[in-house]
Amino acid sequence: MLEYIVSKYNFWAYVILLLIGLYAMVGKKNLVKKLIGMNIFQSAVILFYISIGVKKGGATVPIFLGDAHAAHGHGHALIDVASYINPLPHVLMLTAIVVSIATTGVALAVLILIFRRYKTLELDEIMKIRKDTGV
Amino acid sequence: MKVVATILIILTGALLIYGVEDMPDWGDPNSPANSHVSPKYIQEALEKTATPNIVTAVLADYRGYDTMGETTVIFTAGMACILMLRKKRKGEGD
Repeated sequence: MLEYIVSKYNFWAYVILLLIGLYAMVGKKNLVKKLIGMNIFQSAVILFYISIGVKKGGATVPIFLGDAHAAHGHGHALIDVASYINPLPHVLMLTAIVVSIATTGVALAVLILIFRRYKTLELDEIMKIRKDTGV
Repeated sequence: MKVVATILIILTGALLIYGVEDMPDWGDPNSPANSHVSPKYIQEALEKTATPNIVTAVLADYRGYDTMGETTVIFTAGMACILMLRKKRKGEGD
């Protein structure tokens, strides 16, 4: 049982991180805290994908050094797949980071507008104001 | 609110931990994610794109249109922020 947990402890860490983010998104009443929870959630997903691409046993970052570049001119220099980690999760998460920055920026702008109108960022107070004034 | 959140956390956590059981070990070079298409990219990227960095080769060469669409996302987000936060001129509604 302990061996089973240790062999996949990275996934357990991401599950815990993801649940923290989900709890903050659903359980907190402050809108900024909800946004922070969304960011933690996204970080958990990004770390999960990055850890899928890991190869143990001497694999390095997927960048060819000078010798591989020289060898590619003549014939097919066989590149050892096991010596470079998987580049595809890195590329996809680069895209995901950009999208997460965009969503965070737009969400913060919306929060500024909400604060200007209601003078508060607590969800229950906002709903109370909306109920009282009928807006 | 907190009760709903806690129940949701427990359900989601149970589902995810059940899913962890089927994941490959951490760093396994023969896991499905590392053994289907990614060896092809590692072997062919330098020859086909002449870019030593495979991440750059995939981002800007193989998935160039995706990256171009990504700039649209950034542009849209920036325009949305500007339009929401700018000072309103006199006579404009709201």
